[in-house]
Amino acid sequence: MPYHEFDCSKVIPERKQHAVVKGEGEDLTSCLPKGYLNTIPGSISERGCAYCGAKHVIGTPMKDVIHISHGPVGCTYDTWQTKRYISDNNNFQLKYTFATDVKEKHIVFGAESLLKQNIHEAFDAFPEIKRMTIYQTCATALIGDDINAIADEVMAERPDVDIFVCNSPGFAGPSQSGGHHKINIAWLNQKVGTVEPEITSDYVINYVGEYNIQGDQEVMVDFFRRMGIQVLSTFTGNGSYDELRGMHRAHLNVLECARSAEYICDELRVRYGIPRLDIDGFGFKALGDSLLKVGLFFGIEDRAEAIIAEETARWKPELDWYAARLKGKRVCLWPGGSKLWHWANAIQEEMGVQVVSVYTKFGHQGDMEKGIARAGVGTLAIDDPNELENQEALLKLKPDVIFTGKRPGEVAKKMRVPYLNAHAYHNGPYKGFEGWVRFARDIYNAVYSPMHQLSGVDISKDDYATDKGFVTRRMLSDASLPEAERASPLTGYTGAFDPIAALRAKTDADYPQFERKTSSQAAE
Amino acid sequence: MNCEVKVKDRIGTINPIFTCQPAGAQYVSIGVKDCIGLVHGGQGCVMFVRLLISQHLKESFEIASSSLHEDGAVFGACGRVEEGVDVLLARYPHLKVIPIITTCSTEVIGDDVDGVITKLEEGLLAEKYPDREVHLLAIHTPSFVGSMVSGYDVAVRDFVKKFARKGPSNGKINFITGWVNPGDVTELKSLLKEMDIDATVLFEIESFDSPIMPDGSEVSHGNTTIEDLVSTGSATHTFVLNRYEGGKAGQFLEKKFKIPSVIGPTPIGIRNTDALLKKLSEATGKPIPDSLVRKRGIALDAITDLAHMFLADKKVAIYGNADLVIGLAEFCLDLEMKPQLLLLGDDNSAYVNDPRVKALQEYVDYPMEIVTNADFWDLEDRIKNKGLELDLILGHSKGRFVSIDYDIPMVRVGFPTYDRAGLYRYPVVGYGGATWLVEQMANALFTDMEHKKRKEWLLNVW
Repeated sequence: MPYHEFDCSKVIPERKQHAVVKGEGEDLTSCLPKGYLNTIPGSISERGCAYCGAKHVIGTPMKDVIHISHGPVGCTYDTWQTKRYISDNNNFQLKYTFATDVKEKHIVFGAESLLKQNIHEAFDAFPEIKRMTIYQTCATALIGDDINAIADEVMAERPDVDIFVCNSPGFAGPSQSGGHHKINIAWLNQKVGTVEPEITSDYVINYVGEYNIQGDQEVMVDFFRRMGIQVLSTFTGNGSYDELRGMHRAHLNVLECARSAEYICDELRVRYGIPRLDIDGFGFKALGDSLLKVGLFFGIEDRAEAIIAEETARWKPELDWYAARLKGKRVCLWPGGSKLWHWANAIQEEMGVQVVSVYTKFGHQGDMEKGIARAGVGTLAIDDPNELENQEALLKLKPDVIFTGKRPGEVAKKMRVPYLNAHAYHNGPYKGFEGWVRFARDIYNAVYSPMHQLSGVDISKDDYATDKGFVTRRMLSDASLPEAERASPLTGYTGAFDPIAALRAKTDADYPQFERKTSSQAAE
Repeated sequence: MNCEVKVKDRIGTINPIFTCQPAGAQYVSIGVKDCIGLVHGGQGCVMFVRLLISQHLKESFEIASSSLHEDGAVFGACGRVEEGVDVLLARYPHLKVIPIITTCSTEVIGDDVDGVITKLEEGLLAEKYPDREVHLLAIHTPSFVGSMVSGYDVAVRDFVKKFARKGPSNGKINFITGWVNPGDVTELKSLLKEMDIDATVLFEIESFDSPIMPDGSEVSHGNTTIEDLVSTGSATHTFVLNRYEGGKAGQFLEKKFKIPSVIGPTPIGIRNTDALLKKLSEATGKPIPDSLVRKRGIALDAITDLAHMFLADKKVAIYGNADLVIGLAEFCLDLEMKPQLLLLGDDNSAYVNDPRVKALQEYVDYPMEIVTNADFWDLEDRIKNKGLELDLILGHSKGRFVSIDYDIPMVRVGFPTYDRAGLYRYPVVGYGGATWLVEQMANALFTDMEHKKRKEWLLNVW
């Protein structure tokens, strides 16, 4: 029986089918936990709501947009400044958030005129911003405000603005994942096809399901540009509203996160015949394969190969330096959805760590399927782990590090398990070849923190050494390494604190210029 | 009149200064021992508030959700509360108190939470947990009323209302700190100790500044017990430090149990701390000891080094919870500074008639604006478009980009202060808080002088 029953959850037996241990010789038919079911009240889950899935996760990374939530002020405040999705327009979308400030009288008499006044106020305050997304919340969904009608009225009155409406109240689904789906489909239905983009390359993609956490998108777009590929839009990290209205003209949808954004890719395929190619920016192998796949699709794999060779030569030695030192370190993996499987295998293969558990907050069974398939025998997989299950698992598994969110990270801290932020990263970006080394560096720094060692010493009971005034990470990590490895002339990561600044400084002249095909070539 | 009190002149909110009522109730709930709040609403109402508080305190704690989903929103979700209470009790054997905290969604759909509690008391608790001490209470905090500040106020009252019992006088005072930090609690307790006053410090979060222990067993929790709450009905006085963060409980105890209530002042700065000590002394008959004269002198010594040389006439904007903002403004005036703009979190109509606000209107001799129901655009728009010049900003971390983008030094104070290390550990109240605040403000100004190369050489001989 592969199900894992937690002692703390014996009293809620339905939880038993949400956790499995991957056994020897078992395949997915016998060890797939249930997923994306209604949360058990009072279980102290780590899940958010469908509003946050739409507004906070998918919507707000869009950079040149007034993001306004129609509801009481709390939804807006609470989802403001708690993510690290940056943008190259001075982080406008990160810095400014808008709430219609629904009060009791609006609940009683309706809030549509309030909304309309709000829209005008917001555009007046920021005359340079002409695009807006309105997010419904629980309160305004329940009182039944017709947000779309108000948006249409304002667009008629202000012809230079465009407004997108996302109806995804907090209660719409078991978790934030419901909101991902709703905003994907709403964008496609309302906005795709309403702008005709300028095509400047023979190879045109949408980059979908990428949210520019700490600059991930900018790293990846740099690779595409080096390959001569035009990135028509990014859905949605560092993405531009009008660029995303032109998604229908891409030749290929390159999909990064198949949990949050496969919906729009699948519909773009149905409606516009644009194929979908799933890629993965995490890990040398996965990223290299991804660039190759994109190159192969367009017949320009030589351009991908050149990038892979250059980046591998630059960064692989540093990755290997960390891998030698992280070998066998036990990792708990508790991201939201897709990083579960993006990371599970890649960190084992390339960083030498051992993944002892894979959890997902809001993933579906498909995410678990991929995650468990990529994890080793003995791995504990939990769908929507709750507070007590997490603590029980930490005690049982005794990991060297956990990748999770900020608040569960505090639980781990007290239990003396170092944490890395799986959602927003510690010192990212983590995508790209260099980013992957940064990830390894962050794991190493967490695991071999001299302070972590000290926190386990009980000065009232233990016999502890007093012969050293300090200990370095290297002294800890190299103690049991073979001599050859210890003698490495490297010292780990040598990149900059902020690698994105250099990317933003690049101009067109810094990228290779490729000849466009003639029309007869293109027809072949 | 130089000081104008006005309501924000826009209807909407651009960058909110405060969050909604359930967050305040949740902050109260973590101050109670053996208590886990059950927030009746969407999961985001809990997940994000836990994130917010954990960012501020750099600690974890438990708050549960009834996980309202679509079916509940349509057909009513009282069953989710019943199930949530059962699941919590079954899995947390030490749990004694479950406040059921409502939100906008469950107030709009009209779930009868009070009725559910009666049903649970007669059914589930009597049948499944007959030998267990369990208390359920409803806290109604619809998000479309008030703010996190009023949510705090309502929750404090509802806890007190639920538990307070009249007994023989316990000779203690009730001491309601309001929305403060662990460092504030430590400072306030030390004042009470020096005064030799026995107090029940309520919704006491001091131990949220907690250690990593070698065995990894430490768990942060509130220190206010059920016994503490019961005993509030037997106290000699109730001291409410923050009028808007505990005032309702003070009024309740006065009305129901005839316990005199002393509301305010928020003990920020020397003068307000002096006033608090005098009121404590009058209420208890205990003299103010020499040790506090010395502690006060240390604060004055630090201030004297700084006030008339560096702080005088500095223009400051202050935002956040109303009691905090008013207390800070009063202290700044005592320090010879010139608060220009006070942004009071929410639309509470009582702010206009607050005697402290009236006093500012009477005595301030330069243009000062007080805006209620304010947002950060009230600050930024004045700086960006209306010529407001500032030397310093006092407020919480959500306003950080105003400071960053307009290059105005800022001292983080209030809730939340996640973008600076360890601030929850330091007080802003009492003499210790006065010292800390004045030195933080001075150091922020010093760093700014150096960063902008504006008379940075002044400090060569200070």
